[in-house]
Amino acid sequence: MSKRVLTSIFILVVFLTTSLLAQAQFKKPKIGFLPGVVDPFYQVMQLGVEKAAKDLGVDVVTQIPPTWGVQVQTPLLDAMVARGDLNYIITAPTDKDQMVGPLKSAVDHGIKVITVDTFLGDGDYVNGPVKFPISYIGSDNVEGGRIAADGLGKAIGGKGTVYINSTNPNVSSVEGRVKGFKEEMAKKFPDVKVLGPDFNLDDENKAAQQTAAILTREPNLAGVFGTNVFSAGGAGTAVVNAGLGGHVQVVAYDATKQAIELMNKGVVSLVLAQKPFDMGYMAVQFAVADAAGVTSLPRRVETGFAIIDKENVKDPAVARFIYQVPDK
Amino acid sequence: MPKAQGKIQGTEIVTERAVRAARGGDVAASGVLTPAQRAAIFLSRIWAWVFLGLMVLFFVVAVPLTSGGSVNFLTNRNFQNILVAIVPVLLLGLGQTFVIITAGIDLSVGWVMSLASVLSALAIRGSFNSGLPLFPSVLVGFAAGVGGAAAVGFVNGVVISKLKVPAFIVTLGTSFIVRGAAYLMSENTTVIGLPEGIRAYGNDALIYYIGGDGGGLYFLQRPEVGGELLRRMDIVLPYPVIVTAFVVAWAMFLLHRTQFGRHTYALGGSMDAAVRSGIPVDRRIIMLYMLSAATSGVAGCLSTLRFTAGSSVIGDPLLLSSIAAVIIGGVSMSGGSGTVIGTVIGALIIAVLTTGLVMLNVDAFWQFIVIGAVVIVAVLIDQSRDLIMGRPKGGIRR
Amino acid sequence: MSEPLLSIRNLTKIFGGLIAVVKMSLDVRRGEVVGLLGDNGAGKSTLIKCVSGVYHPEEGEIAFDGKPAVFATPMDARRAGIETIYQDLALANNLDVSANIFLGREVKKRRFGGLVQTLDDRHMLDQSRNTLDSLQIRFAALVEPIENLSGGQRQAVAIARAVYWDAKLMIMDEPTNNLGVPEQHKVLELIRTLRERGVPVILITHILPDAFAVTDRVIVMHRGRKVAEKATAHTNAEELVQYMVGAREDAAA
Repeated sequence: MSKRVLTSIFILVVFLTTSLLAQAQFKKPKIGFLPGVVDPFYQVMQLGVEKAAKDLGVDVVTQIPPTWGVQVQTPLLDAMVARGDLNYIITAPTDKDQMVGPLKSAVDHGIKVITVDTFLGDGDYVNGPVKFPISYIGSDNVEGGRIAADGLGKAIGGKGTVYINSTNPNVSSVEGRVKGFKEEMAKKFPDVKVLGPDFNLDDENKAAQQTAAILTREPNLAGVFGTNVFSAGGAGTAVVNAGLGGHVQVVAYDATKQAIELMNKGVVSLVLAQKPFDMGYMAVQFAVADAAGVTSLPRRVETGFAIIDKENVKDPAVARFIYQVPDK
Repeated sequence: MPKAQGKIQGTEIVTERAVRAARGGDVAASGVLTPAQRAAIFLSRIWAWVFLGLMVLFFVVAVPLTSGGSVNFLTNRNFQNILVAIVPVLLLGLGQTFVIITAGIDLSVGWVMSLASVLSALAIRGSFNSGLPLFPSVLVGFAAGVGGAAAVGFVNGVVISKLKVPAFIVTLGTSFIVRGAAYLMSENTTVIGLPEGIRAYGNDALIYYIGGDGGGLYFLQRPEVGGELLRRMDIVLPYPVIVTAFVVAWAMFLLHRTQFGRHTYALGGSMDAAVRSGIPVDRRIIMLYMLSAATSGVAGCLSTLRFTAGSSVIGDPLLLSSIAAVIIGGVSMSGGSGTVIGTVIGALIIAVLTTGLVMLNVDAFWQFIVIGAVVIVAVLIDQSRDLIMGRPKGGIRR
Repeated sequence: MSEPLLSIRNLTKIFGGLIAVVKMSLDVRRGEVVGLLGDNGAGKSTLIKCVSGVYHPEEGEIAFDGKPAVFATPMDARRAGIETIYQDLALANNLDVSANIFLGREVKKRRFGGLVQTLDDRHMLDQSRNTLDSLQIRFAALVEPIENLSGGQRQAVAIARAVYWDAKLMIMDEPTNNLGVPEQHKVLELIRTLRERGVPVILITHILPDAFAVTDRVIVMHRGRKVAEKATAHTNAEELVQYMVGAREDAAA
């Protein structure tokens, strides 16, 4: 055999033995990542997951549901469980009640669950009705709703009518935002009338339609709160199309490039950036820590917000929280 | 009743010419197929089976290869998952099969499933909260879900047959109405607060199997185990799969062994012939669309049991998959041919594909591209039968 | 024998703006073959479809077998004993021969202690084979869809269907259309045999030799009206053609 072939075989053997030895040394967990749907928020989360996987040397299997819903997320979850090689699943449950069954079934099969962005039950995994997930890593959405209400209330001068456009019912994240928003509005700006929420089911076109309808019905509408990527995008588009950019204040949850563009155009006055990268990165860290035997992982981690407005949007320390996926 | 009596002077010469033509391979004149033609027709009928088999084989080989041996496609758990995954698409596709055989279509099945899910959830919650025990509550839920669905099907059938509006348009219209009704009844949210016990009906199975030490076979009752034993537990024949199997068997019987099924084929073969032969066409059409809606209703009820909640958006993504399953299964969109087992194969192809892609760690979006291609291939193969038989493209207009 | 089996009085059929049949009156007696002639669009097919229950006439009365007859559906006409072989055969291509012969009147069998009714395919197949044998029609395969059969064979199936149900009145709309010359003769023999058995036949044709071969009487229609009614023996081709093209018309025919 030629020298080249021999060298290749030698290198191959060395590589195989070392990797086998390395594997034998510490049990690297295999992690599944099953977010909610295709959108910039979860794409940034995936960046976090992949970076952590690289840094910590673990494998991640990712499946992203094409549309939001338990009928679509569950078969993907079932298939991931059936693989038999996953130790952890990091997921954003698409319904806080309906996904309890399927995820419990995953736990029964020996897979541990970490929820990101949305939670199961009431999010309290210590004293609440659902206790099996390791942790919930996400924003304190109720607080986020309050911040949005503060921002919008101030921007419209404390009086007028505002409208909430939201995505799916029975999802913990947007539910929390709506709750926080309504509470804060009632407390701090009692003269402001709150309409909605309408559900656009993660369809930006529908969000635009619904907002446009409200704009025609309420000629004195002062502000709109879009509770996530699609809601904010659609609502913003509707405001622009109605020629009301600048007159109707829009507060957007989720800092997509589109939302920032609208801010630069003067349509959106406040953007709440969550930290999906942190959520993804930490979830993987938690999985690795749990696999290594750590037992004191916090059952709830709030990842906080970056509040972006016209003043600080150019500041790089803030701009880094805008959801962007680097061009491949 | 009638019988032809006495001999009528023969029409033998009709057949003499036929025999001569048959030797020449002229199908149109002889009505007899050559062996090569027979083989081609046979292949065109079983291609879906072959494709499914090849696909399964592919995944069985490829999955362990790409995962370094840590993941296996050929496991009982995977098989049961696939069976559970086809339940909604298959149920929607069953009624759709009947309807498409008559060259109609039912675009409302997805939203009817949602409506049934909402209705059954409300009914179960209501009857349980007013004191009815668990199992009767579930029966009430089924009655509400399937009954409500059948009512929609009745409306579809009446408008299509009596008012002579094309099925495409009617079912499109009712799909919107049903959708609105589902949203309104669920008050725009998921219907929750159902008794926890129904989760067992929607997820448990007939047989449980725990392999290895301390294991065993358990019937009907989920064994109360934990830890390692629980991890190794496999379910065999979950209840929703059993219910679906019964519905499939009943559908097969209905289509192939009853007068109703024969008339279904007749309606698809020639509406004119059906009318003039005295088939009560209007009644049949109404029954067909009620059937299509009822199977969707069953799917909605099973979904409620599985997720212990009624959801008004649950059926939406499934409509097109159900039609794809029916077409892949060999039902011709122009009507007249098709089988129930074909639709089962079609649904299996879709589910095996999705599962296999996840196991290969390939983006599940590829499933859409593959399914789209398979659907087009299915239609091409269906049309190729005309070519095989030497007929002009598009069939003979008789 | 003198009382007509079928009696049509002043039948009128209108499709929207088109008047297809106007005040047609017609009698058919037992044991006679009546030819219904006319050019394309004369209204012959429409008329017989009113008799067979496919269309409902706007005006006029039909009496069959001594009783007034209102055929709301084609099945009503078939049950009364009127069998029709349509010009387009009205066969289902995707079904086999015996399914076609029994279309609409399938024979059922009770099973499982009377709980379910299934199709009695065996019985229907046997009966079909008997009928075809008695007509001396042989097919290579009785259980294949008839879409593979030739025009003549499909005609044979349509004829077998009408014959099996032992009609009291047989209506045939252009039955020799798809047939070669020898087969056409066979069909005409069948018509003669039916007449011998006492079964009257309404034969729609535009092939005058056929009309002269088997009919006792001919009625000519033109633009929806009856323009002539003659005993076959007392007329000739030239005359009939003149009636058919509208060059001649008998008053109050």
